[in-house]
Amino acid sequence: MNCPECIEQMAALAAGSLDEAAAVPVRAHLAACPDCQREYATLTRTLEKLDALPARPPSHRMRAALAGMIETEKLGQRDQAPFAASLRREADRPRRRAWLPAVLQMLGVAAVLAIGLLVGEREGEHKAEARELAAVRAKVDTMSQLVEQSVLQKRTDGDRLETVLTAASAPKPDERVIDGLINTMAFDPSVNVRLNALNGLYAHADQEVVRAGVLACLVRESNPLVQVSMIDFLVAAKAREAGPVLRKLAADDQVDADVRESARRAGELL
Amino acid sequence: MIAAAEIPVHCAPFGVESRRPPAAVDSSSPLSDHELMLAVRGGNLDAMGELFERHHGPLFGYLTKLTGNRAAAEDILQNVFQRMLKYRHTYRDQGSFTAWMYHLGRRCSSDYFRKASHGPQAVDPADLEAHADDALGVDELAASTDDHALLRRALERLDRDDREVLLLSRLQELSFAEVANILECSVGAARVRAHRALRALRDHYFQLQKESLP
Repeated sequence: MNCPECIEQMAALAAGSLDEAAAVPVRAHLAACPDCQREYATLTRTLEKLDALPARPPSHRMRAALAGMIETEKLGQRDQAPFAASLRREADRPRRRAWLPAVLQMLGVAAVLAIGLLVGEREGEHKAEARELAAVRAKVDTMSQLVEQSVLQKRTDGDRLETVLTAASAPKPDERVIDGLINTMAFDPSVNVRLNALNGLYAHADQEVVRAGVLACLVRESNPLVQVSMIDFLVAAKAREAGPVLRKLAADDQVDADVRESARRAGELL
Repeated sequence: MIAAAEIPVHCAPFGVESRRPPAAVDSSSPLSDHELMLAVRGGNLDAMGELFERHHGPLFGYLTKLTGNRAAAEDILQNVFQRMLKYRHTYRDQGSFTAWMYHLGRRCSSDYFRKASHGPQAVDPADLEAHADDALGVDELAASTDDHALLRRALERLDRDDREVLLLSRLQELSFAEVANILECSVGAARVRAHRALRALRDHYFQLQKESLP
């Protein structure tokens, strides 16, 4: 074996992908050729460094995003109603206060995107886009299909944030847009998107379903900033029904200190 | 929206989708990746959580090296698992889960590179906060000539195809035959491309090392 032949094979030898029969003459040449030894050493060093290149794990929100995706798929599987719709059904029942839904199933990502479709249609600012959205809507006849379409259309946090801001500024949002904002506030993996969905609901704080949605989300929310904002919302909405939940939060040592203090003050105000 | 037709032949549905009831995951004995994915295909979507725990680290590492961008790698990672759920029925009875996952990773990263070539992407302010620690600090700037930084820059200088084949070939979870299948080429061609990419990386790396010397 000469040097060019050895050089041709040595990358495979360094990568460990050369079979033993082919490796024998390469090794024999390497043992006798200092130039090829140096060449081989540079390849093995490069590979070692490539393999040792550190990679930090992704952010924790990835797990939340996956959980949301799984729930969305389950929604399609089971044909169950989304979170806000279940709240709305409960709120519509006369004099019934046990409105907290037993099952939280809806992904905020999907939900906000669903309202993106609705708002896009309603606004009609971009006619071409509206026509496209209308065509999509024409193809879907169930909520799960609508959600599925939406997830694939707008996937990034930036897109969802834009959709929430548009929905929140809609002059007369209908019931489904409000449901979308509630679902987003409940399940979107981005804190920023959840906060903006909550802000978008201030204009509808007089609706029982909105107050019920915020209260239900407060119980499951993990981010203190969002929790405090939800408590502020409940105070602004004069949601007296929030009293027991706020008292429980204020007394829970596991809860963030700022959240506990906000809950205590809100409990007193309400 | 991705049409089902985009799924390549080797990932096409294997026969008729199972009509068996969702398979339960027995936590007492760990299931293989393949068994878990079959459970997902059969309707037990929660099994995807375990697959995520097992594989998101190496996949994310691969995507980070491929894109050189953590935020993009996170987006792609999310898209990969989203497609796994959506196209779970295309997973084959005799399939290799990791090969399928990296195949989807290749698809999703191709989408990313195609979009990235068309202009800047929208950024959520929350992303900036979440990735603030990725920005180089004073110490990191001072150390930016270290081996890791040099190697990352050398990787960036590789053609995307070379970077892809080299990184795939270094994944312990994949055989060369699987790498070739993912790249849709022969095993021999995959080997040649990987070795050529390794030499190119070596050349870039040593060139950068020379440039960084005072």
